[in-house]
Amino acid sequence: MTPPAATALARTDPLEQAPLIVGTPTDRVINDELLDHVWNPRRGWTILFLLALGGTGLLVLGVGVTFAKGIGMWGNNIPVGWAYDIINFVWWIGIGHAGTLISAILLLFQQKWRTSINRFAEAMTLFAVMQAGLFPLIHLGRPWFFFWLFPYPSTLGAWPNFKSPLMWDVFAVSTYFTVSLLFWYLGLIPDLAALRDSSKSKAQRIAYGIFSLGWRGSAQHWQHYRIGYLLLAGLSTPLVLSVHSIVSFDFAVSQLPGWHTTIFPPYFVAGAVFSGFAMVMTLMIPARKLLGFERVVTERHLENMNKVMLATGLMVAYGYLMEHFMAWYSGNPYEAFVFANRREGPYRAVYFLMLFCNVVVPQTFWWKKARTSLAWMWIASILINVGMWTERFIIIVTSLHRDYLPSSWGMYYPTWVDWSIYIGTVSFFCLLFLLFLRFVPAVAVAEVKELRHELAHAGAHAGGREGGH
Amino acid sequence: MSAKVWVLAEYRDEQALYAAARRLREAGHASLDLYSPYPLHGSDEALGLRRSRVPLLALLGGLAGIATAILMQWWMNAIDYPINVGNRTLIPYPAMVPITFELGVLLSALAIFFGVLGICGYPRTWHPVFEVEAFRSAAVDALWLSAEVRAEEAEGVAGELRRLGAAQVATTTGEDA
Repeated sequence: MTPPAATALARTDPLEQAPLIVGTPTDRVINDELLDHVWNPRRGWTILFLLALGGTGLLVLGVGVTFAKGIGMWGNNIPVGWAYDIINFVWWIGIGHAGTLISAILLLFQQKWRTSINRFAEAMTLFAVMQAGLFPLIHLGRPWFFFWLFPYPSTLGAWPNFKSPLMWDVFAVSTYFTVSLLFWYLGLIPDLAALRDSSKSKAQRIAYGIFSLGWRGSAQHWQHYRIGYLLLAGLSTPLVLSVHSIVSFDFAVSQLPGWHTTIFPPYFVAGAVFSGFAMVMTLMIPARKLLGFERVVTERHLENMNKVMLATGLMVAYGYLMEHFMAWYSGNPYEAFVFANRREGPYRAVYFLMLFCNVVVPQTFWWKKARTSLAWMWIASILINVGMWTERFIIIVTSLHRDYLPSSWGMYYPTWVDWSIYIGTVSFFCLLFLLFLRFVPAVAVAEVKELRHELAHAGAHAGGREGGH
Repeated sequence: MSAKVWVLAEYRDEQALYAAARRLREAGHASLDLYSPYPLHGSDEALGLRRSRVPLLALLGGLAGIATAILMQWWMNAIDYPINVGNRTLIPYPAMVPITFELGVLLSALAIFFGVLGICGYPRTWHPVFEVEAFRSAAVDALWLSAEVRAEEAEGVAGELRRLGAAQVATTTGEDA
């Protein structure tokens, strides 16, 4: 049994918090409201779907051109050997991190407000990691030999070099995707059963019956399920911290000024959570309106997410500051040059755009007015997504384009193929997300029912203000 | 052996559900189960369930992953295909940490997921309780109790459950596959 929930106590407090669930709906009402978007597709879904499908065509085109003609179609070349492929890889992986943070870390901290948004964020994680995984694969040059990445007994008689951070990446990203998928699906099983048992037609009943694996909500099964879910959350928590740390090792383990810093792992993780929360906001604000989730995704959820963005934004700002401090304090002229080049070099416009989006914009969230304004938080979330993308651009491109030897300096400009693949993955991500919103409960229905149950109990203990039962 | 009958009873109230489960257990019925749309706190005690074995599976999976990762990296990079990079050590323990950690997490997560499904007997396409149409509310908003009893006991158990405040009672037969 949980202790009297903080929400119930807060109600008697003058600093009253907005509720986590608006009103006192019954389980049946919650069930019907939250599953309605599956049974009654929203108007406009088809249009959005077709738009995303069209955009995904750009991905097919870009990847097709790359495979047919080679990576020369991209803008990256020595000295900038890594560009859009790795920028987008890191950006997408980072976006995925908020999903795991919301679903696992906030679960362990017993943050009740995670309940309405975790499914949504976990789906975002899965789809973002899928986009991320694409980039290293198509950058392989000979992508049809992708399986050389895995340790398998090949006729070459060779094994992968496990001392390479790129191998660590393979293990980290594939583990992250698998564990996120298992965690997401395990959470989904009771909700698929709810869909099965609220379905009107036989075909729906059979389809959701298959995907719910025959779940019948037995107390004996809930016992295993609950401990299993908690353990997966416990595993995901260090996992999510490890993944972006390992991604940052791709850079930090190298000798390049601008990359070779010990601050990278925590700085990458903070940035990942920052951008991930921004992406959750970007998707959640319209979806909440469109799908009618206002009752369970309340002002309080949105405000809390804005607070997390403010906090992680400050961590990222600290990272920027500390990089410059270390460049000066180390007395290393190459290190100092890299950061002077970021501020004053040819990519300075991108650098200042990054500072504006990632450091200035989140500061508005000190004010409650900004934290509760839907329009502003949506704009801010998009700006932060842009800012985090430019951060990866700055880290990768500006560190590479002017290294130790001025004779080998160069500039990087993306080609249309680079843009096509990038915009294509954004569209593909939206496409998968739209399919998710169409066929799967976007809010963890069983968990909201459990939360309602707990809140009602806590309310009853606090003087029967919420009725209880 | 006489045929088994499933007696299902719907309850609107958690305490009534637990009281009914306890009463049937005291009467010697062992094959009881409770059903709810979300996990109930206290159902473990009402049914007298033993601790779940899932944590043990998670531990074994994690240890298997760690052992596999260490042996794999050591054998492949130091024994079967050693790569000499500037005469650095072939077994660099710090560099082995990331893959060891990831593989430990991966196998542990797989053990948890398939362990939960395996212990619960999923996936399955059919179960006797699904024969009762009203039981559909178990995944939506209702609490149900099931007792698997001998055919001749069914009438008595159904009556008992009604007396214990069931909103509705249904019986069904079926071979539990």
